Amino acid sequence: MGLVESGKLPKPLSKLLNISRKYSIWAYQWGLACCAIEMGAAFASPRYDVMRLGVIPFPASPRQADLVVIAGTVTDKLAPAVVRLYEQMPDPKYVISMGSCANCGGPYWDSYSVTKGVDQLIPVDVYVPGCPPRPEALLEGVILLQERIAHEDMAARWKGEPIVVG
Amino acid sequence: MTATSDPAQITELAARAADNRVNLDFETEGMTLNMGPQHPATHGTLRIVARLDGEQVVSAEPIPGYMHRGYEKLTEVRSYPQINTLINRIDWLGSFANEVPFILAAEKLMGVEAPPRAQWIRTILFEMSRIANISLFLGDYGLQLGGMTAGFYAFRDREHVLNQIEAATGGRFHPNFDRIGGLKDDLPKGWIANSHNAMDKLLAFCDEMDDLLIGNEIFQSRTRGIGVIPADVALSYGLSGANIRASGVDWDLRRDACPPGLVYDQADWKVWTHPDGDCFGRTWVRLQETREAALIVKQLLDTIPSGPVMAKVPRIIKVPEGEAYVETENPLGAMGYYIVSKGELVPFRVKIRSASFNNISIVPWVARGAYVPDLISILGSLYFILGDIDR
Amino acid sequence: MSQLSSADTSTETATDDEVVVEVDERRQAVLDELTGRLGDAVVGSHIRPGDDLWVRVTREAWPEAAVAAKAMGYSFFDYLSAIDWLPSPFGRDMDAQEDLVGEPAPAKEPQPIVQGYAGGDTRFQVIGRLYSIQAGMGVHLKVDLPDDDLSVGTWSQTFLGANWHEREAYEMFGITFEGHPNLIKLYLPLDFQGHPLRKDFPLLARRVRPWPGIVDVEPMPGGDDEPEGDGE
Repeated sequence: MGLVESGKLPKPLSKLLNISRKYSIWAYQWGLACCAIEMGAAFASPRYDVMRLGVIPFPASPRQADLVVIAGTVTDKLAPAVVRLYEQMPDPKYVISMGSCANCGGPYWDSYSVTKGVDQLIPVDVYVPGCPPRPEALLEGVILLQERIAHEDMAARWKGEPIVVG
Repeated sequence: MTATSDPAQITELAARAADNRVNLDFETEGMTLNMGPQHPATHGTLRIVARLDGEQVVSAEPIPGYMHRGYEKLTEVRSYPQINTLINRIDWLGSFANEVPFILAAEKLMGVEAPPRAQWIRTILFEMSRIANISLFLGDYGLQLGGMTAGFYAFRDREHVLNQIEAATGGRFHPNFDRIGGLKDDLPKGWIANSHNAMDKLLAFCDEMDDLLIGNEIFQSRTRGIGVIPADVALSYGLSGANIRASGVDWDLRRDACPPGLVYDQADWKVWTHPDGDCFGRTWVRLQETREAALIVKQLLDTIPSGPVMAKVPRIIKVPEGEAYVETENPLGAMGYYIVSKGELVPFRVKIRSASFNNISIVPWVARGAYVPDLISILGSLYFILGDIDR
Repeated sequence: MSQLSSADTSTETATDDEVVVEVDERRQAVLDELTGRLGDAVVGSHIRPGDDLWVRVTREAWPEAAVAAKAMGYSFFDYLSAIDWLPSPFGRDMDAQEDLVGEPAPAKEPQPIVQGYAGGDTRFQVIGRLYSIQAGMGVHLKVDLPDDDLSVGTWSQTFLGANWHEREAYEMFGITFEGHPNLIKLYLPLDFQGHPLRKDFPLLARRVRPWPGIVDVEPMPGGDDEPEGDGE
């Protein structure tokens, strides 16, 4: 993607690419706690049906995913695994933090073993509040993320710090 | 005995111990298979380190704690109503059922009893959360064994009962509806008729699952004779719920030691057992329990007495000094709360006896000698919820 | 509360004159049989009629008590845990109306250690519950652990399920179970410091930040009275 990195991508082409990316988000399901069930209801049940929004919830590996939904409590013991799985995802990658626990620790704000917010570990694009959020709330979060992707300047994503591998 | 903290050394020790425990038929180079902590088919994070000999499991050691949230410590700094909010999230599929033993234990210490109407509604919601819980198990277990359809059906029909729980409590998932001395609110208008309809749908769902899942030849061949647990081992590990009834132990706390505050004696129902103790038996018992729960709900709906839903309790709840333990038959098995109170706003100590913790501790015993695909069958059929293991 | 330290009796101090002293014969019989099997090892007991039975045994007899109870039909292993009877030096500091933002919590007077049912002499007690499916009753067993030697024999040979429960008690309270096959941490990361369920283990998040519930209280529109910050 030399064209993208150089920032010389024509506007219409950039927009077209953004629309394509927006409607084919491969979402990795990261069910950690209660929210996983509501995420499952949003992703797998016929009633909520996330696929109509262009989200494909089937990658079995983070290496195939564009989006990860951190749904549930992140503990200090799990934190290294969260970072590891995030690092395995190819860029551009997005994170939805679902539920109070992933946002800020939630009801376990004073616990000795819970990480108070997954944004301490990885960058988060959309926070979905609730304990747990209803499936509709997660769908709303997905739509917000799609808006963000639609207006993204792809060149800007690559202008930041160089990515160091290893 | 000194504990080592070096993970490499622990792996080495576990592997050596596993090799010693099992008589290896032929020498192949062992392999350690790490499953988890994250897997797309689970909700929650359980890690299993399995030592393999070819396709056979030599030893499998679950490593819990990836979701340990410290409930028992947090209860010591929260008042009783606040704890009620918190403990909803232990077994998140049957949330209402988590509240009940805690509230009953607090009521026992305070010497209050909920009015009859509250007891009835409590029992109905308890059974509804059982349905919400186990119906997902049937779908999830099908999913784990390769039958995607069951998962979709379960998510579809589970909504019916979730709608009813939401209509009554306001919470789709974590109702936080139970109070010391009764319930937060009375039932909304039209709820009883709607619940009858929902239960009819659930009964149809059970029949469907009977055909689709239990009657499926592939399902049967993947579960029959796999992961057999004899009754005495099950008792020794403290297995409870459908897991122990599938081993032929006819024991159900709802029938045998129902704590005051629940009205199971007002309905006509049956405890199902299975003699085999294998994965199939556990699934079969759970399916029957779902059906039985729907029947209990239907019977109790017709006999709800009128009256208040809340007994007289002080506005600020202080539980008198004492110790109490109440155990109920939750969807996953026997769940109990041991409350030590010093007469303050907060309990002195709460020990949470969660069913999955005991149910999953049998994995090293039962997985020994199984094949790797059977490990999935066994784990799925023991049916754990991570919040219930890790607390 | 004198109820809590009643030893070897099944009497409840009743406040009303009409209430007769209840005697739970079934649980008394269980207690008698257990005493018969263990002899002098039973050092305290408490019966709440129609509800539960607590038996306290000596530390030496702890593994033996499990064997005896199992032989009596109490073959279902319910749970095993421990209790730290030290009154919490922190309490619910930084909470609700006692919330003192920015100031340290007032120092609390050290309070005496009071043990619960079936008595006790030490700060730490291990508690285990066994259940008899035939009888439909459970029994709580307790044992005292001296502060300078927090160790007791293991149950994991008698009840296989005790393995994990003892590992949990080991990491949460720092109690060692002699003869346990694999006494390592269960839940927490291996490099975790401290034993969280001990009363003198502080919840640091509570000490550096006020209870968030009170921060969110806003005056109701139109109402001129002060909001009630009861923190629930």
